[in-house]
Amino acid sequence: MTQLDERTATVPFAVTDPWWIDRERYYDRTFFELERDRLWNSVWQMACRLEEIPAVGDYVEYTICDQSVLVVRTGPEQIKGYYNACRHRATQLALGCGSFRGGQIVCPFHGWRWNIDGSPSFIYGAEGFAAAAVAERELHLVECRVDTWGGCVFVNFDRDARPLREALEPMPSLLDPLGVDRMRVYWWKAVRLKANWKMAQEAFLEGWHVMQTHPQLTLGRPADYRADSLEYHSYAHGNSGYWTKPGGRPVWDADREVESIIESSRLLYEGLDAMTLARDMHVIESLRTRPYEKGVFGAQLVQAIFEYAAGAGIPLPMPEDPAALVRWGGVFYLFPNFFILPQYGNALVYRSRPDGDDPEACYFELWSVTIPPASEPEVKPEFGGVYRPDDTSAWPQIPLQDFSNIERQQRGLHSHGFRRLRLAQDYEGGISNMHQELDRYLSR
Amino acid sequence: MSRVRVEPLGADIEVEAGEALLDAAWRLGYDWPTTCWGQADCMLCRVEVIAGAELVEPAGDDERRALARKLPRSERGPGPRLACQLYVTGDGVVVHKEGVRPLSPG
Repeated sequence: MTQLDERTATVPFAVTDPWWIDRERYYDRTFFELERDRLWNSVWQMACRLEEIPAVGDYVEYTICDQSVLVVRTGPEQIKGYYNACRHRATQLALGCGSFRGGQIVCPFHGWRWNIDGSPSFIYGAEGFAAAAVAERELHLVECRVDTWGGCVFVNFDRDARPLREALEPMPSLLDPLGVDRMRVYWWKAVRLKANWKMAQEAFLEGWHVMQTHPQLTLGRPADYRADSLEYHSYAHGNSGYWTKPGGRPVWDADREVESIIESSRLLYEGLDAMTLARDMHVIESLRTRPYEKGVFGAQLVQAIFEYAAGAGIPLPMPEDPAALVRWGGVFYLFPNFFILPQYGNALVYRSRPDGDDPEACYFELWSVTIPPASEPEVKPEFGGVYRPDDTSAWPQIPLQDFSNIERQQRGLHSHGFRRLRLAQDYEGGISNMHQELDRYLSR
Repeated sequence: MSRVRVEPLGADIEVEAGEALLDAAWRLGYDWPTTCWGQADCMLCRVEVIAGAELVEPAGDDERRALARKLPRSERGPGPRLACQLYVTGDGVVVHKEGVRPLSPG
């Protein structure tokens, strides 16, 4: 039997041909529960940003399906994850985010208490229990695995899972040179979408929808916006990425190169408020004052971005290999549900999770992050709130356009006229790669 | 840094900017009544502000909710504040709190 055959035997609606995806994978309850039990219980997943827990004792509750864990900073260089249930009668020990002050985690029910290292510090009423039931080794908070990368904390409920770094590669190697670990939150918002968590994120696993979904980005020249201008790479463990091909950048208006680039940058800045921010716009527009040389404007722009960063005290790292800068403007997907889209000293970041127990609902978060000037004090990021997908006051133009397609896709799945998704081998390999890795988890 | 006097112990506690009175007391080694450890839940850390009330920041949502939910009506009113939620803006605040002790060495 081939690997694909083995998976088919145990996983319902398994991928048998990499370019066809059964629609049931996005709404079938059995499939959803299999994901809960076999994917989310054994995969590395981004739990919070490090800047959310800057001080010892700070915590964030991370939830996925029916699990809740407390991610706690237990020392200046140490973070732990605890399953969120009192060792007595299961009360969740903390909700949301905050700080365990005085270094103590306290159950609100009977006042049982733990040091932030997970050891019990006060067991009220212990004399009323059989001695063995309240022996110290019985009462430690139960830990899950925790590791960090790229300014984020990741958790894994599987003790035997491969190390985080191995699971994420080659993304750290591709993204570390761009300084993602130095980025901090500029804004952070969430949307509840009536769509499966995979359907929501697949909108970002390819870039050729831009021509139709975001017509403004073609500067009125859709015919020049070629579907094949991006190169797509699939990697081990479900990861993938894509970025502009060498020479693949559409030249919308060769005679007006400078104005075209300024205009497309402005559309990104105003339509997203991420990746290209006000300070970058300022730099890009100031290039109008430089003498124009045909064909080198892109290089001038990169140079100006670095010069501005140096002058403004922004620690934007210059990659050892300048070729790494081709990844500015690319999309990097870290299986199962995390995206980083770096550009200049900024990035747009996505995370998609099931929303409660509904296979057709997801909680989708967006962060706009940026490398702040070194002189700026570290502050905890503020969550900007959950908004409806059609809230034009909350969302810039580009996400509004993406959200509207996602919910229509989810509804379309149920149509009598639809059976399975067909994928483009040249453009949608990342989607197929994700589903195949998912099946590896589901068949274990 | 702002000084808060805690009676009847007579202790002067230096509170840093952005630090709650309870955190400052812990930092300086005082034992202060609590069973929830700063989660605005147990009400045991509450104090009576007896002087310098104008130098105390108003109660925030967490504290107001906790006071309304957990304190009998007869004990509410302008006086009681939670030391774990109490931030001061200058020297001269005096609070009354029974049960505050310097931690015994060891």
